[in-house]
Amino acid sequence: MAEAKGKAKAKETKEARETKETKAPAASPAAPQKARIGVFVCHCGTNIAGSIDVKGVVEYAKTLPDVAYAEDYQYVCSTPGQKIIEKAIKEKKLTGTVVAACSPRLHEPTFRRATAEGGLNPFRFEMANIREQNAWVHMHDKESATDKAKDAVRIAVAKAALLQDLTPKSVTVEKTALVVGAGIAGMQAALDLANAGIKTYLVEKLPTIGGRMSQLDKTFPTLDCSQCILTPKMVDVGRAPNINLMTYTEVDAVEGFIGNFDVTLRKKARGVLSTDEAEAKGIVGGGCNGCGDCEPVCPVIKPNPFEMGMKPRKAIYIYHPQVVPLLYTVDFDTCIKCGLCVTACGEKKAIDLEMKDELVKLKVGTVVLALGYDIFPVEKKREWGYQQFENVVTSLEFERLICASGPTGGHLIRPSDGQTPKRVAFVLCAGSRDNTGIGKPYCSRFCCMYSLKHAHQIIEKIPGVIPYIMYMDIRSFGKMYEEFYYRIQDEGAKFIRGRVANILEDKATKNLHVYAEDTMLNRPIDLEVDMVVLAAAVQPASDTDRTRKLFGVSCSQDGWLLEAHPKLNPCGTTTAGVFVAGVCQGPKDIPDTVAQAEGAASAASIPIHIGKVELEPYFAQCIEEKCAGCGMCVNLCPYSALSLVEKEGGKKVMQVTEAKCKGCGTCGGFCPGGAIWMQHFATPQVVAQIDAFLTGGAK
Amino acid sequence: MAEAKGHDYALFLGCIAPNRYPGCEASAIKCSRKLGINLHDMKGASCCPAPGAFGSIDLNVWYAMAARNVVIAEKMGMDIALECNGCYKSIYEVNEKLKHHDELRDMVNEVLKTVPDPTDPTKKGTMEFKGTIDVFHLVELYADPKICGPDKIRENVVRPLTGTRIGVHYGCHLIKPKKERHLGDTENPMWIEELVAALGAEPVQYRKKMQCCGAGGGVRGYDLVHALDITNEKLINLHEAKVDAVTESCPFCQLQFDRGQIEIKEKFGKMWGLPVLHFNELLGLAFGMSPAELALDMHAIPVDPFLKKIL
Repeated sequence: MAEAKGKAKAKETKEARETKETKAPAASPAAPQKARIGVFVCHCGTNIAGSIDVKGVVEYAKTLPDVAYAEDYQYVCSTPGQKIIEKAIKEKKLTGTVVAACSPRLHEPTFRRATAEGGLNPFRFEMANIREQNAWVHMHDKESATDKAKDAVRIAVAKAALLQDLTPKSVTVEKTALVVGAGIAGMQAALDLANAGIKTYLVEKLPTIGGRMSQLDKTFPTLDCSQCILTPKMVDVGRAPNINLMTYTEVDAVEGFIGNFDVTLRKKARGVLSTDEAEAKGIVGGGCNGCGDCEPVCPVIKPNPFEMGMKPRKAIYIYHPQVVPLLYTVDFDTCIKCGLCVTACGEKKAIDLEMKDELVKLKVGTVVLALGYDIFPVEKKREWGYQQFENVVTSLEFERLICASGPTGGHLIRPSDGQTPKRVAFVLCAGSRDNTGIGKPYCSRFCCMYSLKHAHQIIEKIPGVIPYIMYMDIRSFGKMYEEFYYRIQDEGAKFIRGRVANILEDKATKNLHVYAEDTMLNRPIDLEVDMVVLAAAVQPASDTDRTRKLFGVSCSQDGWLLEAHPKLNPCGTTTAGVFVAGVCQGPKDIPDTVAQAEGAASAASIPIHIGKVELEPYFAQCIEEKCAGCGMCVNLCPYSALSLVEKEGGKKVMQVTEAKCKGCGTCGGFCPGGAIWMQHFATPQVVAQIDAFLTGGAK
Repeated sequence: MAEAKGHDYALFLGCIAPNRYPGCEASAIKCSRKLGINLHDMKGASCCPAPGAFGSIDLNVWYAMAARNVVIAEKMGMDIALECNGCYKSIYEVNEKLKHHDELRDMVNEVLKTVPDPTDPTKKGTMEFKGTIDVFHLVELYADPKICGPDKIRENVVRPLTGTRIGVHYGCHLIKPKKERHLGDTENPMWIEELVAALGAEPVQYRKKMQCCGAGGGVRGYDLVHALDITNEKLINLHEAKVDAVTESCPFCQLQFDRGQIEIKEKFGKMWGLPVLHFNELLGLAFGMSPAELALDMHAIPVDPFLKKIL
């Protein structure tokens, strides 16, 4: 019945068009603002035309009210395509344009410019997405897809007829940047920003910078010592005059928008004053100089998380000798406040056991998030026995065990008895590429390569050792990686293609039995080894979700931060002025991390160097005559963009801080009096779209 | 609902327990009552049907037969309790599948329409799967502190199995596949061990505890030597751990361990002589039932060495 009604309506409009065509000259002077919309339907090669009858959509568009012109073109986004729009605006005296093509995320700016070139306000343009949301999902149903495209065009035309001229606002950009996270990604981004002449705040939640890379022994495929290539950068960061390094600090709150982020940092109570802080307090020549006198006297012993808990630390500690800044930290969760360290510190008066968290406010123009990763809790994969069997370790624990500065001085030993293992199994994809719902569905991307490196390291250090690499596929994708793979094969590592089913411990010897299917030889295997290293999957660092929400950054379903476009804007996010770098955006190795950090730094420096940014004019407007001053919207606004002000005569009305408003529409949808006008998404425009959908019929 | 009187369940017997090891059934009825679990007979219940045998050949027959058994309990207005892992796979899994898949349920109900009513075989069209009940394994109910729990069992023990070492075989269908079950850890579960400890025995860990008995999934029927090979490995590992008996929650595993030892003697020439007892039988002994009441003389491998330790 609805269909029949739709058909009748379409017929009606067609008749209306015919009469309009003949009577148009007479009618136009009477209604000078009568909308005249041009519709441009794109073939996008066969992307759209393959599943939608483009010509049919054009013919249909011509029957719609307010449509003065309709045309199709192979690629509307091409230069000739844009020219068609410009020409039509001028020749047909259009008041608005509709392009039915791809997602507005791709070409909205293109068609806005074309609309502006034709002499209209760029916001007189509306886009109908008939590719991503139509042609690509209804590939095998051309008839329905065409009907749906007609619906989309009808809806867009209804809105375009009511669009208004809008002018974007521009705001000045604060000439400072903030980098959150000081692993290799954050350090590189901060160094680049600082070298580009931008004052940069580098914030790190741990007491030292360096991140995961500082825990690694060697890096693949070059086998450079990780610390050796990292520490010069750490020193640079510590010394760069343009970098304000704030360790043991977290982001507490964020307000504002691109160019003007108001960031509140929580400087966690460290219990130790730096030399600068001491000087500010009037302690001459005081503050922590890293002498370490406090550490031996501390009676509290705790596991050092930097060493994956395999080495002790005191309640006043540094992670390792190369920390930047060289500044001790008191762990107030375990400190018993005996005061022995204060006595040992003496005249330097660096230790303050009554220190409290401090909030610091900053204003920054742009932000780079480099939040890093954690190891997936691989004990959840119960079948591999991590934390049940002593000789099953994770790859990060292995890194510390093989590292000369680690808890064993670089001698790989079995945790159960301190013996040197002669048979070591490396279990790849330990929690990665796992569709059981326990592990992670994605590839963690660097485990294959570091496991090859691990095999090399034990072959180098332990005569007669046999590394067994239990793999699904070896993904040696990078420059010189495949060559490294061949090298490790030649060095004698044994490769067994088969996912490990389970691992059991021999209670007497603490040796491990690794059960798998050798899919190359098509037989089940029971491999007895001295030690198992699980190449555990990686997952977003524990704080990632909280931090990303503060900055309004989305994440993909696996928790990694969502880039603005996976291919063409890999460093940007959907929040203007916030960029991402490193593993927090998705697993990647050190070269890719550094490259992305440089990209993010470059992107973050652009608005700062330009000095101003244009904001989309989608903000809310208050219709003061209708506003009752109830203030409900003020509390609802997630961006604190609204406030109540008193007008002459004591009338209270809502006022919008346009630069803060993101145009989300929460207030406009709620306002009981209909007093809020959402620019570009105004009630009459949206209602017209709904009406067009419900009362039309694409037959 | 019936808190004062205890918990009521429809008892689904299965085939192997009543035919080969009737002690399982005797214990289920007598011991459960002491633990506040009242079991009621399901009139007209059939084979579950065996998941490996039927499921491998015609899934639709498997769905329909299992659903028919579920419907009998639905009509009684009771959840099902059963004592065999094979039955658990069929009845639990089909019940869950039909609850969540409308198309499958409609298809099965089409078949059930043509099935006579077990309470009045002259009537047809009364059988319809509605999805109103749940299915439990009896050991699961014993372990659940809301229904029974190890403490309640401990309180009712009159003949503690003190001094015996018992290896637990969980059997595959009870807890796997993990996604389709709700009984927790599949790699090293310990909850049946807790029940065994509540009887006063010492539960013993052994190598490859979670390995299959060898029989399931139709392996026993298809390739007996291969099945026995797996069983033999389990027996080696149990022997290494110096157990006095192995217990399980599945009469089919029990058959494989028990009859299987005779077959292993025939095929491989090794006689292990390890007593095999269903958890129900252990529970019966601990609750004071006599070996005759539990028909323990029907076992292929004599359980006397074990009985000597506790009687």
